[in-house]
Amino acid sequence: MNTEERKLADVLHRFTPEPPRRVTVEQVAYRLVSQPRHGHEAGGRVHRPRRGGFGLSRAFAPAAAAAAVVVIAGASVGIAVLANSHHNPPPSAGGAATSSTPMSGSPSPTSSSTGPTTPATGLAGLPWGAELIDHQAIFPGSLVSADGSLYGFGNGTLDRIDPATGAVVDTVQFSPAVLNPPVVSGNTVWVVSSYTGGVIDLQGYDARTLARTSSVQVPAIGGVSPGGQGVLAAGPDGNLYVAAGDVVARVSPSGQVNNLIYVTGGKISSVAVSPDGSKVYLGTGSSTAFKLLVYDLQPRPFQAGSSTLAQGGAGGNLVATSGGVWGTTGSGHSEWVWFAPGGDLSRAVRVGDGAGGGFTAYPSYSGGAVWVGGDGNLVCASPATGQVLASAAIPGDQGVAQFLSSPVVAGGRAYSSYQTDASQTSGLARLTPPAACTGAGS
Amino acid sequence: MDTLTGVEHLAEPDGFRDFVETRSSALLRSGWLLTGDWTSAEDLVQTALAAAWPRWASLRRQDAPELYVRKIMVNTFLRWRQRRWTGEIATGQLPETQGHDVFAQVDARQALLAALDRLPARQRAVVVLRYFADQTESQTAAAMGCSVGAVKSHAAKALARLRSAPGLSELLTGGVAS
Repeated sequence: MNTEERKLADVLHRFTPEPPRRVTVEQVAYRLVSQPRHGHEAGGRVHRPRRGGFGLSRAFAPAAAAAAVVVIAGASVGIAVLANSHHNPPPSAGGAATSSTPMSGSPSPTSSSTGPTTPATGLAGLPWGAELIDHQAIFPGSLVSADGSLYGFGNGTLDRIDPATGAVVDTVQFSPAVLNPPVVSGNTVWVVSSYTGGVIDLQGYDARTLARTSSVQVPAIGGVSPGGQGVLAAGPDGNLYVAAGDVVARVSPSGQVNNLIYVTGGKISSVAVSPDGSKVYLGTGSSTAFKLLVYDLQPRPFQAGSSTLAQGGAGGNLVATSGGVWGTTGSGHSEWVWFAPGGDLSRAVRVGDGAGGGFTAYPSYSGGAVWVGGDGNLVCASPATGQVLASAAIPGDQGVAQFLSSPVVAGGRAYSSYQTDASQTSGLARLTPPAACTGAGS
Repeated sequence: MDTLTGVEHLAEPDGFRDFVETRSSALLRSGWLLTGDWTSAEDLVQTALAAAWPRWASLRRQDAPELYVRKIMVNTFLRWRQRRWTGEIATGQLPETQGHDVFAQVDARQALLAALDRLPARQRAVVVLRYFADQTESQTAAAMGCSVGAVKSHAAKALARLRSAPGLSELLTGGVAS
């Protein structure tokens, strides 16, 4: 080798990182028995089954693969999940599914309610014709909308709410493990039930009945981020994306877990997927600097950009739209929302006044607009440009701040979690936003 | 666990576990240089090891399991590239606004990967085999199924391209301790 070749060898050795984990014999064995049956997907590639082979006929392969799943289950969390999600029968209506995995929050049977509803009460002074339609407490920032229903975390519960009446129509005992609203994908409401150490537990509930239907364990490489805020997101293709330590794991609708993106330099604390599924946005960093990474997923995951927000403290709660990504920065005492066009924090702009005093303001993307609530003002903005389309102040109540969470849209109306300490009132508020907020397009 | 219950063909070969435990890290790093991401690298290594499993006894007798595994890795990589993708990846690299020094190592890795991404697949394979896996020209030629002359040609062309790659040229022309 000449000098230049030696330098190239040196560069290759110096800058090639250590792998985040090793390959195990069990993984190879699983590959061996799985290959003749079907291709394996990774990085967008579909592999042809091997010709020739190792004495595993096609007829034999499925049985061998099943045996491998059972035997290897104890050695590989991901494979154990696969076995669980593929082979458990669906639960009966209203009952909890069985699972081989321990649960941090034990699920309980779903209960349904069609009881009398609270008459709507106008909230004097609050913008957009706010009226309180139910006094059920909803954890701020947990309200989401899908297919004509609202979902949110109540007091130790996951609730499905009828937006027409504000009444909780289905509820199941559940305590969220991390700051993350429910994620609705297809007919399933996904929640994070455990977010500690090396394994993340996801629970799936039927979107119509809240009967538990799925349980998935996602291995966290290097342990999870202690500052996780928005660690679970759904893509348009039905896949879930999970911030799992040093990796973003992708969970297919069938429950198969695949490590999609590895990062170095900080644990992933939040994740979002662009509406067209082509980009993944990752948040990493510490309590003093928040770093945003942009990955293109095609033809394979590739880092397309990174930028850092060195002011404002920890960040997260990412929401991706066609024009870029939205997120929060700050602490519970002072938190505000930013919009980064194209995922570039150097061009980030602040949106809304945010929230303080223990209230939180997370962006929501619903009904074709991005919404930001808080205790200062309500804002709707264009998902394509970040431009504020309408804004209205939230006045104090007897000198004390009132809080409206970022609205979500269901059935043509907007809904928000309301709270005021002055009159010790909380509940679900219905809003009538100005026309500028609707038809914003995406 | 030595065997998979009821699957006689899958009895774990002697020495296979030791090899996987001691060499998987180096193989994964080679896979990362070839593919640019850990997911595909794992896929590549697992594919190669799965191919080596049934031939393990023979490979050990020839004292060549690693050469064989690397050969499978490179050929699998070349097949992937041939089938799925042959173009360059457009990278809209956004500027770092803060903390550049903290992530300097990451930037260097990105520059390295970006430079490798711009190499044709066979040149990239030669770079990894020759300069990372420290294989001789003849071993590289054997792994890739080509002549030693072809290896020399690929290596020379690859070096010329890397020399002019943004972010990598400085590392190759100076500042790197040998």
